[in-house]
Amino acid sequence: MKIGLECHVQLPTKSKMFCSCPTADCEFPNTYVCPTCLGMPGSRPVLNRQVMVYGIMIAKMLNCEINDTTWFARKTYFYPDMSKSVQITQYDNPIGERGVYYLDGKKPIRITRIHIEEDPGSTKRTADLTSLVDYNRSGIPLAEIVTEPDIATPAEARQFLTQMIGDIRHLLNIPDNLEWEVKCDCNISVGTERVEIKNVSGLKNAERALHSEMVRQIAMIKAKKKIVRETRRYDPDRDVTISMRVKEFEDQYGYIDEPDLGVYHIKELADSIKISESPQNMILRITSQYKLDPKMAKQLVNTSVDLASLFEDVAKEFGTPNAIKWVGGPISANWKAMDERGVTDTSKLKDLIRDFSDGKITDTQCTIEIKSYMTGQDAAAAQEDSAGLETLINGFLDENPKIVTDYQKNDKAANQVIGYVMRQTGGKYSSAEVVETAKKLIEARF
Amino acid sequence: MDVKTVRDVAKFAHLALTDEEAERYCKDLGDILSYFELLNEAPGCDERGVNPILVQDITREDEPKVEYDADELLKDMDTYDRYVRGPRLS
Amino acid sequence: MSMDSVIKDLKAINAKYQMFHAMSDDTAPGDAKFLFSAKDNLTSKDMETCAGSRILEGYHPIFDATCISKLREAGGKLVGKTNMDEFGFGTFSTNSGFEIPRNPYDLNRACGGSSGGSACAASVIEDHMSLGVSTGGSICCPASFCGVYGIAPTYGRVSRFGLIDYGNSLDKIGVLSQKATDLKKYMEIIAGKDERDPTSMVQPDFKTDYRKMKSVAIPKEGIEGLSKEVESVFKDAVEQLKSMGIDVDYVDMPSLKYAMPAYYILATSEASTNLARYVGMRYGHQEGDHSLKFDDYFTEVRSKYFGDEAKRRILLGTYARMAGFGGRHYAKAREVRQVVINDYKRVLETHDAVLAPTMPFTAPRFDDISKMSALESYKADYLTVPANIAGTPHLSVPCGYDSNGMPVGMQFVADHWNEDVLFSIAEDWEKQFDLKRPEVSL
Repeated sequence: MKIGLECHVQLPTKSKMFCSCPTADCEFPNTYVCPTCLGMPGSRPVLNRQVMVYGIMIAKMLNCEINDTTWFARKTYFYPDMSKSVQITQYDNPIGERGVYYLDGKKPIRITRIHIEEDPGSTKRTADLTSLVDYNRSGIPLAEIVTEPDIATPAEARQFLTQMIGDIRHLLNIPDNLEWEVKCDCNISVGTERVEIKNVSGLKNAERALHSEMVRQIAMIKAKKKIVRETRRYDPDRDVTISMRVKEFEDQYGYIDEPDLGVYHIKELADSIKISESPQNMILRITSQYKLDPKMAKQLVNTSVDLASLFEDVAKEFGTPNAIKWVGGPISANWKAMDERGVTDTSKLKDLIRDFSDGKITDTQCTIEIKSYMTGQDAAAAQEDSAGLETLINGFLDENPKIVTDYQKNDKAANQVIGYVMRQTGGKYSSAEVVETAKKLIEARF
Repeated sequence: MDVKTVRDVAKFAHLALTDEEAERYCKDLGDILSYFELLNEAPGCDERGVNPILVQDITREDEPKVEYDADELLKDMDTYDRYVRGPRLS
Repeated sequence: MSMDSVIKDLKAINAKYQMFHAMSDDTAPGDAKFLFSAKDNLTSKDMETCAGSRILEGYHPIFDATCISKLREAGGKLVGKTNMDEFGFGTFSTNSGFEIPRNPYDLNRACGGSSGGSACAASVIEDHMSLGVSTGGSICCPASFCGVYGIAPTYGRVSRFGLIDYGNSLDKIGVLSQKATDLKKYMEIIAGKDERDPTSMVQPDFKTDYRKMKSVAIPKEGIEGLSKEVESVFKDAVEQLKSMGIDVDYVDMPSLKYAMPAYYILATSEASTNLARYVGMRYGHQEGDHSLKFDDYFTEVRSKYFGDEAKRRILLGTYARMAGFGGRHYAKAREVRQVVINDYKRVLETHDAVLAPTMPFTAPRFDDISKMSALESYKADYLTVPANIAGTPHLSVPCGYDSNGMPVGMQFVADHWNEDVLFSIAEDWEKQFDLKRPEVSL
């Protein structure tokens, strides 16, 4: 089975791709519009430089070869939301080609190309079936990322999208709390014929659409029926893919180059753009650099890139064992609490580790102080709490020694302890702290 | 050039042709396209620029502006509730 | 004549010559310093703008084309929008969706095209300048047929913001006038970088100081296929140039004959994408039956309101872009453009301009035009197309009259950005040329 994806994401610029209309959400239709994005005769496009910058950043992140010269093309097709019946996109010489993305840092998914293009407007049907068109979205900049059919399963497709989109979000500084829509055209062939599922919104639907199409194709093959190479659409409510109206012939987009914009020599610009390490790449790097358990590396980076950076700082100053013990331990456990309180100064945490390292404070004291600083809880109360938690867990382990031996085979045995504590104490302790303490006490019993 | 091709092209271009037009355009296009074959003997060139003079690296800064009154822009359009009215989608 | 009296006569003039589609309601010159008109494919805020096409009836742009706003800022009053071939598709302005302008020297003959109305206005109206647009020769051809001076500057010299597109890599905005000195005067106002048109942003400084033309090259491809009368008038004009101290050489420019097919492939390819937006929504005619499916709705409006030549060029351009055919010829056409540019640059290294008659014949009669096939009218442009595909600046000056009194024009082509030498030869020529104005009676 082969799966390939074409993903579209909106680039987070303040103004549109070819005109200065704001990209912000608008309450009323047809408000952030101008002659250019309305396709009015006599209007003309001018490229927003930031769109090119974002496109190059994504191309670099995807390890693409960046073309020295890039330009735009006209793709002609007719639909009411197309304000000039032409989409300005890229055909020859897109920004980047022949890249690769490593799923989980291991499996290479080849990236065919990445290019930039404008969005059309949006349509809605009226009761009498005519349409109403809003051109607020017309001209919004998009990046299109196309993969080779290297993805093996629908679940893997979702994994790929989760990781890659997560990386792109970080790259483009998209706030974590902002919903960022991804639209995919999903291509899947169980046998020899490829079927395209067009315009699927969101990662979950991408997996579901691919899964339901996979099921359909398998059934067809079993029944010795021929799979038609076609374009389908996904209905999320019924969880089926549906054949789109069969066309007599392929859409003829009739690409020609766009003369109104000229060409772009982007080698220098591309060389000057430094992109921050993607979270996925950071996970891979710190796993190998510090010889970490990949699960810890993942947990650190996915909690926060800042947490992982702190890990590296501590490792540099106090050695990797201290970084694992303290940052991988209580600091990670309490990170969310600290973040929610809006506390960002981590130098105090390093001071505490220094004191421990210098022998000025004990292991237990350090743990208490860290928790106290991060959660805002009074040190004495924190100490009491911590002692209480340890007593509870030690009591449970005394009565269930088999957990310790089971844990040595499979660390999921700790879940029993965690479950017990959570039932006994309600939400008193953060689950991160419970996990951390449980593991510490179990391991102390080897 | 044959009439079927002319009709296919017309369909892409969203033009409805009468039989008379289809025949007539078929002949015109046939003549013109034969004349275009002259290009086969033209010398080639390594360069094929997008414009006759080099237009390169023209961009603008990412600054949102509202330069036109949206109501002015919509004034001559067929609208309903500020939406532009359009034909059936399917 | 005072501006007041010119304006007063305009309606009557227009009734006779049909150069204007829309005219300004405001009949007082106010504090205007000069009057001008503009080809109807340039957007004007206060007048309907249709680019010669019925599909744009009712289009009232909310922005002026940059060249028009610059002229207004300089004290110009726009009195009317001139008739043209629909979207620029034509050589005689007979493909106009509205009125067809009549040649001031003979009302039964065409003005040329596609800026026919502009050339007519420039020829008939006193003290009048008109903005034209050239894609394949649409400024110089009508200038030649109507006996006026016309200049199409280098591609990219004048902002195309506000120009309703025909061919985006070919369109240039220029000036037509009875007075050679008007060309430089008004070009200086409208030329220059405009952020709203990226292709206008790479031009070097606009040099307009006098620079005497010292030598011209006449390509042998430029003096083949001429009518006897044009050939004879041109010969005399060349002698005149020699007597003005200009060296005249005869050269070979083998690329010129390939310019025409390359031009039509590029122009129609671009045009077919530019005209895709006219679907009966947003501007122009929008009154179709919305209960039709969109493909049918679009097809109905387009078939109803596009003229015959527009349909032909859309079909040609759509076909040229289609997979299979397109890959071959479109790429080659782009290469041939560069070959033609290189040929001009080779000759212009040692000469100030390439010279030839502007058109192979004088203004034809309307009934003769109606007998021409599409291909025959395309081929009539063979003398103007090469400079246009190369984007080089070119100038037509009236250089004589045939036995019917119809004007003959000759065309100078200079290298990219060298408009200065064209302004200069226009002015030098004007000083010694006996311009015969048409008889304008109302």
